[in-house]
Amino acid sequence: MMNLRPDRVLIQGITEPLGSYYAVRMKAYGTNVVGGVSPGQGGQLLDGIPIFDLVEQALPVVGRVDTTIIFVQPYWAIDAALEAIAAGIRQIILVTAGIPPLDMVCLLRKAEDTGTVILGPSSSGIIVPEKILLGIQESEFYTPGVVGLISRSGTLTYEVAWELTQAGLGESICVSLGRDAIVGSGFPQWLKALDEDESTKAIVLVGQAGGGREEATAEYIAAAIDKPVVAYFAGSHAPLDRRMGDANNIISYHMSMPIPESGTAQRQITAFKQAKIPVAKRPSQIPELVKKALKK
Amino acid sequence: MDLLEYQAKELFRKMGIPVLPSQRIDHPRDIKGLQLRYPVVLKSQVRAGGRGRAGGVRFAENTIDAIAAARTIFNLPILGEYPHVLLAEAKYDADREFYLAVVLDYAAQRPVLLGSPQGGINVEAVMQHMQQVVVDQEFSPFYARRLMLKMGLQGTLIESVSAIVEKMYQLFVQKDLDLVEINPLGVSSTNEVMALDGKIAVNDDALGRHRNLALLASKMADRNTSPSLSSAPFLPSEAAGRRGRVFIPGEDKEELLLAGEKGAGAQLRGLNWVNREGNIGIICNGTSLAIATLDLLYQAESKPASYVVVGEDAPTSCDPISPLLERALEQITQSKGIKVVLVNILSSATLSGEVAEVIATYLQGKVKDKQVLGAASAAALPHFVVRLIGGDISSSRERLADLPIHLVDNLDLAIAQTVSLAKSSGKRS
Repeated sequence: MMNLRPDRVLIQGITEPLGSYYAVRMKAYGTNVVGGVSPGQGGQLLDGIPIFDLVEQALPVVGRVDTTIIFVQPYWAIDAALEAIAAGIRQIILVTAGIPPLDMVCLLRKAEDTGTVILGPSSSGIIVPEKILLGIQESEFYTPGVVGLISRSGTLTYEVAWELTQAGLGESICVSLGRDAIVGSGFPQWLKALDEDESTKAIVLVGQAGGGREEATAEYIAAAIDKPVVAYFAGSHAPLDRRMGDANNIISYHMSMPIPESGTAQRQITAFKQAKIPVAKRPSQIPELVKKALKK
Repeated sequence: MDLLEYQAKELFRKMGIPVLPSQRIDHPRDIKGLQLRYPVVLKSQVRAGGRGRAGGVRFAENTIDAIAAARTIFNLPILGEYPHVLLAEAKYDADREFYLAVVLDYAAQRPVLLGSPQGGINVEAVMQHMQQVVVDQEFSPFYARRLMLKMGLQGTLIESVSAIVEKMYQLFVQKDLDLVEINPLGVSSTNEVMALDGKIAVNDDALGRHRNLALLASKMADRNTSPSLSSAPFLPSEAAGRRGRVFIPGEDKEELLLAGEKGAGAQLRGLNWVNREGNIGIICNGTSLAIATLDLLYQAESKPASYVVVGEDAPTSCDPISPLLERALEQITQSKGIKVVLVNILSSATLSGEVAEVIATYLQGKVKDKQVLGAASAAALPHFVVRLIGGDISSSRERLADLPIHLVDNLDLAIAQTVSLAKSSGKRS
């Protein structure tokens, strides 16, 4: 279902400042950007990329599209995603950040109904070092290698990639799930995809501590993933944003009650330890944990 | 952003959720002009929970009692928060009290309806009997009725209480809420229902398309501005003034923020974090990077004081980092007790160049001040540990070469350097 290395890419919001900047960069990196969409700008070219007014107008001209990357402003991003789904595109990367969460709820329902993979919002996209760039990842930190990286954070991902690069391990691929409270595809789906990916020998997860969201991920890895996995969570010392947890967490926050145990960083780390998944204390520890896991 | 009870009730009233006659009180003397019939209830308008238990809700039988009660409440902080406004409300004799809420469950990624047949101020009891219904598909009133049965309601109450939940859900979707709560919903001996207290939390990312709520938010922010660090501006949306959107039924285009109001909700954007005991300030380009840096400093047993995020993972020239960084440097350097500023920025070579330029200009200015004013009268500067990574940054290094900073490549070394400087005595001369 996940297309890790899509070779025909569309960019929606290609005339947005971020969209046009990265369209050129993606193309220069080797990504096959077949077209862009920007209402009212149809017929123009950007760095040789043809621009269309509507996704369904682009497809008959550019042919098959594996993935669309959305740079459209937050309040209109969902419209762009629905437009892509209606045109039959089944993998969407939402680079846009700050999309109202109830918009995401609507989109995710639609995505489930149609079997569409959503990455993001606020995703930096996917990078296959020296091959494909889909989104806004900074390529400087990456080098081709064996570690598949899946991250829920932004620039912290580069810190981890940089460690892997310096340690000579390199990365087979890096998938940025997005920083927002509600995102489409999560760790389990991409873990499964990377578990089946031949160039990936080990998988590193970069997540956030607490909130009660990743405990199920630990169980999933123990049950379904064969390749070695190393996890790193930032924020065990930072205050948890309890307005972003599950219903119980949120309600108890609003009642000024103590935090339910299910949401703590400690409980999350314990869940990973119980599933026998090494958890790094700091980014620089990740390469040695990966090397150790690869030796087994 | 959390609304106050009286603001929430205003929205309830417009939505057709029954609320009692009430009046806003800005000062104890306003009690004399009270239009309500006694006895009345006076309620502290604070965001913190547990107001009833803390004495922020009082009954009064007459004007003299009411003025005294109002004075007491105005002077009573609830979890450190003093009310600026009280709400005077008619007294209601509830036979029973329920708890009702609609929240966005971020783990389930769906709205959830919550209800407890034990409403009121005993939060443990509320929680103990709490029932949930996940709205996994398009909302329809049967979700609300499903909750009613789980709560054990019977007869006419099923329809009357689920009608309230339906309206709460409509409000939730129309205004992009994170939470709408009624606690308690009073039920009279004749099975009449009344929202006796209400709470609404608005989603910050959506404020830009709810003009009235955003303006309300900015008013509250002005009032609550703290002297500590404020967040780097992060506009709720740059989208204002563009095409209308079509997805929320009944959404009014005029609700979009006007260009001049864009910053309205922005000050509320969470910073970042402040610890008064600390002596290390952190500047990072990304929240996750900042909290990872914070973790490392804590692991090294040092005392971080604050962090500022500049350009949340935002790359490139489209969203210039310079003005944010300039302000962050100024804010952090001037915060009390800061001995070391740790700048940790990972990005492209282009951005590193921009960052180096800002830091260099800032520090050169400070060094010059010192020469002009003399060492004694110029403000003492903290130490600077700067870590810039990303592409070829040799020109950035050159730009920073002759400045009084510690330039470090490796994160662990940057942490060690920062910790050692923070533990050494005194500021840089």
